[in-house]
Amino acid sequence: MAIVELSKVTKRYGDVLAVQDFNLTTAEGEFVVLVGPSGCGKTTTMRMIAGLETVTGGEIKIGGKNVVGMIPRERDVAMVFQNYALFPHMNVFGNMSFGLRLRKFPKERVAERVHSAAKILGIEHLLERKPKELSGGERQRVALGRAIVREPKVFLMDEPLSNIDAKLRVEMRAEIIKLQRRLGVTTFYVTHDQVEALSMGDRIVVMSKGFVQQVGTPKDLYNAPINRYVAGFIGSPSMNFLRGQIGADGTVSAGENFRLLLAKDRAAAATKKGIKDVWVGVRPEHLVIERNPESATKNVIKGTVEVVEPQGATSILQINIGEDKKIIAQINEQWGRVAGENLTLTVASELIHLFDPDTDESIR
Amino acid sequence: MENLLWANSRWGSKLLAMAIACLAAVWVAVPFLWAIDNSLKTHADIFKPGAIIPFLQFTPTLDAWRDVIGDPQALNCLFSSALVGVGTTLLVLLIGTPAAYSLARFEFKMKSKDITLWFLSQRVLPPVVVLTPFYILLAEFGLIDTWIGLILLYSTFNLAFCVVIMRDIFRDVSKEVEEAARIEGASLWQIFWMIALPLSLDGLIVTAFIVFAFCWNEALFASAITSQHAATMPAFILASRSTRGVDFNFAAVNTILAIAPPVILSFFVQRYLARGLSFGAVKG
Repeated sequence: MAIVELSKVTKRYGDVLAVQDFNLTTAEGEFVVLVGPSGCGKTTTMRMIAGLETVTGGEIKIGGKNVVGMIPRERDVAMVFQNYALFPHMNVFGNMSFGLRLRKFPKERVAERVHSAAKILGIEHLLERKPKELSGGERQRVALGRAIVREPKVFLMDEPLSNIDAKLRVEMRAEIIKLQRRLGVTTFYVTHDQVEALSMGDRIVVMSKGFVQQVGTPKDLYNAPINRYVAGFIGSPSMNFLRGQIGADGTVSAGENFRLLLAKDRAAAATKKGIKDVWVGVRPEHLVIERNPESATKNVIKGTVEVVEPQGATSILQINIGEDKKIIAQINEQWGRVAGENLTLTVASELIHLFDPDTDESIR
Repeated sequence: MENLLWANSRWGSKLLAMAIACLAAVWVAVPFLWAIDNSLKTHADIFKPGAIIPFLQFTPTLDAWRDVIGDPQALNCLFSSALVGVGTTLLVLLIGTPAAYSLARFEFKMKSKDITLWFLSQRVLPPVVVLTPFYILLAEFGLIDTWIGLILLYSTFNLAFCVVIMRDIFRDVSKEVEEAARIEGASLWQIFWMIALPLSLDGLIVTAFIVFAFCWNEALFASAITSQHAATMPAFILASRSTRGVDFNFAAVNTILAIAPPVILSFFVQRYLARGLSFGAVKG
């Protein structure tokens, strides 16, 4: 258990920037998820914490001790790799006990720790098997087991669930969270999947092109994205973005069929900054069907349904609102909408996001 | 896959395939059979026309075998061959595998590729070119006709081979597995011993076998720098011309003695050979 502090951590490969000025201080036992598209620097950051990658600049502290320049062994971290990275020539017991044996633990204590970790993970019956005789999910458990037997200060997990099938992945997600809560070890978890990030993290770090975009709880990121990048990355389907103008009456419009009433403080913030042209952002799941299309005039989006994608519980609609503009709406109706239908949608004022078109930053 | 092809092909092509296989078998087997045949003959039978099938056309005898095995020089040469072969193999692996591993894993000022090419260039040179310089060098150090001299000489040739092959084999070891070991607390040396080497065992065994076979079969240097004490089997066979010309029955026995050990050894390493000889063409 330890607090991990990263300050101004930077990594360059020659002229290529991999990570720039990464700052973060974890709480003790916190579950931090690093999320972003491939090549955003999330794995590099994790490898720098592990000591597999040197830092070009900045400082990394684990439990108050600066670990820059230390070899992985001295850092006392454990890592779970994307493709498990089990030792193929050792059986499960050999894999799990490897680190303890290197540290010259007495035999009985090695066996004791391995057995108790195996019990937690439900792999006691597999201890004699070789990795190639295991299924993907079992291998993942062994990799987790290898990480937990040493009782390290920090867990590092590099996309540990991306190689297992979808159904098992959801199960393993819950299991990893339970395990982490139970052990209370500070954990860094890398993923490119924002759904995984939202469902697992105490806090999430959204990265792009080597830069940290936003750090926050899942709720922060979803409700108050700091810029257009985070707004588009978090949430599925992605947020709709349209260029619009703020009117004097406190509305924002993008074409004649799109006119939404802004929350007062939001409109005021834009006016204060002197911004008239904005990016309007609305999440598909926040759009609802207006029941009285005739009477509503101010807070409506009118359009024609082009494509219907039933999801079972909900439906995803592609709606053409004229002038070559399209929006995606996820509505709480199972079936019944058909292509070609004219629809009027509305959205609650506090759920409308505005972004400065010059900086892409959120206006609030 | 082969079985499927076999089952689906017509009897005509099956017949053709069988014929080719038989021909190949005869091509390979006849020299061995000839050697075995001749090793059972007396001097007189060797040049007698029509003496081919034992018991029918001549009376087989184990005289030649008795003579050779009773000859301390022949046994000495067999022992020399074994000692030099094993010694060279061990020395080459001892020096070559760490070198190969560092070429596979570490960055050098000079590109790893260039260093490898230099290693390879040592292998391209016709050995006969360096015969005289090596002879003089060994003579200077008083190593003519010694086991150590031969071991050093063979090691210089085989080291390059070992390094180039083992480098490719080490490259196939998953980097993540080695990183996992590093995180678990292994030093570079421990990673080499406990992870990389065991995972490259197939390749290591094949490399060892090939190095051993090279030493066992090498005749040019062996006959040039050895005479009595350290002469190996190939040198002995080359030298086994008596005043009567070549004693074919003795030569046959010697040949069989020379062929047998690598052949027997190859039965044991066979399961590694098929995989190892593809030299990392397919990622294991």
